[in-house]
Amino acid sequence: MVTHQQRLAARQTRRGLRTGIAIVLLALMLFPVYWMLNISLQPSGGTLPSSFFPPQPSLAGYATAIQDQGQNLVTSMVIAVGTVVLTLLVATPCAYALAQFRFRWISWALLAILISQMIPGIVIANALYTVYENIGLLNSIPGLIIANAAHAVPFGILIMRAFMLGVPTSIVEAARVDGAGLVRAFLSIVVPISRNSLITVGLFAFLFAWSDFIFALTLTTEGNITPVTLGIYTYLGSHISNWSAVMATAMLASIPAIILLVIAQKYIAAGATGGAVK
Amino acid sequence: MIKKRLVAATAIATLAPLTLAACGGGGSNEPGSEGSAPEAVSSLTVLDYYTESPSHSQIGDQLQKCGTSIGVATVDHQSVPGPTLIQKVLQQASSKTLPDVLMLDNPEIQQIAEAGALMPLGDFGLNADGYAPGPVSAATYEGQLYGLQPGANTLAIFYHKDVLTKAGVQPPKTWDELKTAAKKLTTDKQYGFAFNATADYEGAWQFLPPMWTNGGDETDLKSPQVAEALQLWKDLVDQGSVSKSAVNWKQADVNDQFIAGKAAMMLNGPWQIPSLQREKIDFGVVPFPINRPDQTSIAPLGGEAWTVPVTGDQAKMAKAAELVKCMNTDENQMIRAKQGGLVPTKLALAEQYKAEVPSMAGFTDAVANARARTGKLGPKWPDTAKVIYTGMQLVLTDQAAPADAMAKAGAS
Amino acid sequence: MSDAETLTTATEPTAPSPETAPAPRRGRRGEQIAKILFVVPAALTIIALFGYPVIKNLVMSFQNYTLRTFISGDAPWVGLQNYVAVVTDELFNKALVNTALFTIGSIVGQFVIGMVLALFFHKNFPLNGVLRALFLLPWLLPLIVGSAAWRAILEQDSGILNVTLEGLGIIDTPIPWLTSPDVALIAVILVNIWLGIPFNLTLLYSGLQDIPDELYEAGALDGASGWKAFWNITWPNLHAVVSVVIMLGVIYTLKVLDIILGLTQGGPANATQTIALMSYQRSFVEFKFGQGAALSNILILISLVFAIVYLRATRRRVDE
Repeated sequence: MVTHQQRLAARQTRRGLRTGIAIVLLALMLFPVYWMLNISLQPSGGTLPSSFFPPQPSLAGYATAIQDQGQNLVTSMVIAVGTVVLTLLVATPCAYALAQFRFRWISWALLAILISQMIPGIVIANALYTVYENIGLLNSIPGLIIANAAHAVPFGILIMRAFMLGVPTSIVEAARVDGAGLVRAFLSIVVPISRNSLITVGLFAFLFAWSDFIFALTLTTEGNITPVTLGIYTYLGSHISNWSAVMATAMLASIPAIILLVIAQKYIAAGATGGAVK
Repeated sequence: MIKKRLVAATAIATLAPLTLAACGGGGSNEPGSEGSAPEAVSSLTVLDYYTESPSHSQIGDQLQKCGTSIGVATVDHQSVPGPTLIQKVLQQASSKTLPDVLMLDNPEIQQIAEAGALMPLGDFGLNADGYAPGPVSAATYEGQLYGLQPGANTLAIFYHKDVLTKAGVQPPKTWDELKTAAKKLTTDKQYGFAFNATADYEGAWQFLPPMWTNGGDETDLKSPQVAEALQLWKDLVDQGSVSKSAVNWKQADVNDQFIAGKAAMMLNGPWQIPSLQREKIDFGVVPFPINRPDQTSIAPLGGEAWTVPVTGDQAKMAKAAELVKCMNTDENQMIRAKQGGLVPTKLALAEQYKAEVPSMAGFTDAVANARARTGKLGPKWPDTAKVIYTGMQLVLTDQAAPADAMAKAGAS
Repeated sequence: MSDAETLTTATEPTAPSPETAPAPRRGRRGEQIAKILFVVPAALTIIALFGYPVIKNLVMSFQNYTLRTFISGDAPWVGLQNYVAVVTDELFNKALVNTALFTIGSIVGQFVIGMVLALFFHKNFPLNGVLRALFLLPWLLPLIVGSAAWRAILEQDSGILNVTLEGLGIIDTPIPWLTSPDVALIAVILVNIWLGIPFNLTLLYSGLQDIPDELYEAGALDGASGWKAFWNITWPNLHAVVSVVIMLGVIYTLKVLDIILGLTQGGPANATQTIALMSYQRSFVEFKFGQGAALSNILILISLVFAIVYLRATRRRVDE
């Protein structure tokens, strides 16, 4: 005869066990990141630590990184956040339309979107350079935000559409019958229900923009706008490399980003769709 | 003759925007107005790949000082990561926004000149008299000089003095000595020798000392002299003196191995000296060994040159040439050499440099004889470089014998 | 081609078109316009950003496009010569095989591991959110940093992986991860799998979260739990998300360039050469842009064929 207390205790142990396993899995996954930390604490700047812990840890890399990269970090953050906002604004309505509206050309649109994802980044960056040069968007943060967002939009459409296919049309219809316009129905019903996919796409838009190198390199010509992905080249020359400063920069830069990601992940709650059907 | 070239260059620059209309070219440079008085130039743009500190600010300072001395108030200095420089140049060429002064790695000069993107420096009264022959041949295309290189580096063998002394080994002067020394110096904890053999231009560059020293030539890769050079590399790896990881080590990795004491000797260049000094390594330098007594040690020429792209703006191009000249004065060559671990390219400065920087004495002599990679093949060098590193990797991964590796790699 | 339209999930039969609701004629036209407006910003963005590159890339592949072209604008038409040149290149077949192996190995590894992890995280336990977010950490680090760290880890003599494996007695001699033509491709695939896990995990997890709990409760009443619940409830409902994850995964993997360049530069002796790498090298190392464009178009063709075949295949499954 298992008492309620015993059942509760068993469940808590199971949960604790899961957390333990999750931590182990995470440790395995993040081992290379740990290795970067190891390299960042090396005094010599090379990439050759062969022991698990640096024998003489040195914070020189971090001191250098903090001194040089503060502004770059802010630039990266602004571009990434801007990209998230713009991507969601443009992709969400389109994703819904391609999921729920009955257009005859939807297959062709999806095919075009898929093709856009097949093009190498460098081809796009080269073409974009000429356009930006003509309309004067080079060396500007809005320019980089637009480029990154435009790059993330097709991905956002495909992902959000896949989720929105599961949005029951009955609730939207119910709202329409009650007199709500198309846009109002979209904003007050579809968007909240699709919260999970919006956050997921937002996450990836952030990550794409944060780790973007090629647009940052191509669309700036003056060196005054340098996100972290470009900024690390202060420590990487064609002959000399100071890897501890590079790794230290990468580590420090990830801290604010990870905080944002943790907050965002908490919002991917279960059963968002289910709740609305009731 | 000169005027005809200027007119031709200006005509091309004028016509190019029309033909590139589809690409949206619409840069801000106007076609040159030859014959009228030169307008005052208040700013010049410079593009290079010196992104890392302190080089970036050191070069920037030199550029700014030079700018001031020629009457140009602002010098916009932009640096991009090394592998992306050419892409940047091409983007700018399409949109007619090339920089006024462009730094190029010496093996790339002739290719860019062939494409019609560079002005011959002779048009502005510049010449390379008194320079070591290597930098001159690298920067010369179809008889015209296109770049002036203030500093050069090359490859030589570094060794740990204490390790060699303890093992009773002399720094090697011949290939046989190299093999014996490397074997003797190999222990559980350390390899005797280290070099870079990656599948890129760096790997090809590091293979040139044995290839050229042995009399091999890049125009005839299937010759037995090249096969012997491949055999040397293979023997060193097969006998266990060089790690098999050499196929994946960049020169920076080789240096790391050397510093960490995992290699007693290494093939590398003087840009590593600051890190060796920082780690307080007691190192010695010898030129790459020769195979037979009648040979001389030949090493490849490294280093970057300043060039003047064709922008169509006569006044700016003239000022750009003056900037290039200024970066190559005796004084600036010495400054750059000391800051960057290079050797001044003007032969007259050699003795002074050796006196002021004794640790670079060996390299100074080597640079005087250093050979340009594009000296014979010009713009065709990159294709040959590809064959060289492919052939080398085939040998080191036991997929081909030295005798037919180059043929298998596509040598003609 | 209406396969894409039928990527529906099995939650509810799709209701008839909303336009059956009575509405005045003028309102109906206005609604049509509103509907188009949902799509217009995205359409403009996509055409503006991707339209020109696609066309330019296509045209370039039929031209003799060299360094000189960037200056003078001449690009003589050479028809299919570039395609013939790249396909008959002796490296092409090897690159094609490597690309296939790389893609299949990466996708299978990433997807399976991502799915297992997503299911694992689907249950509630302390620190679930934080740990899941931390799995995305590799994506926050620049690729050049990642490949430098992996090169150090996979180093044959002193890399920590071999040191550990030898220390644990699992291997006798160090594994030549990046230095042997036989092993290098495997090493690169493993690193790519590592890179792809966060992508798969996050998307599949979100997909799982979207499946209403009621379905599981209803299924539990019928006695379905564990493996049965997965096959009968989870998998069918995840169909749309799985499709998009695999399709995008393949398309992105075919394009992968930086990680291979960073780890092996395509070596040793072309053991890790792929079509994407060949395209990059033709264009930006050898300056034969026409051939580089031809290769990237071949890659796009392969992606396209895969997308169409995959959509057809999954459509049949839904119909069954």
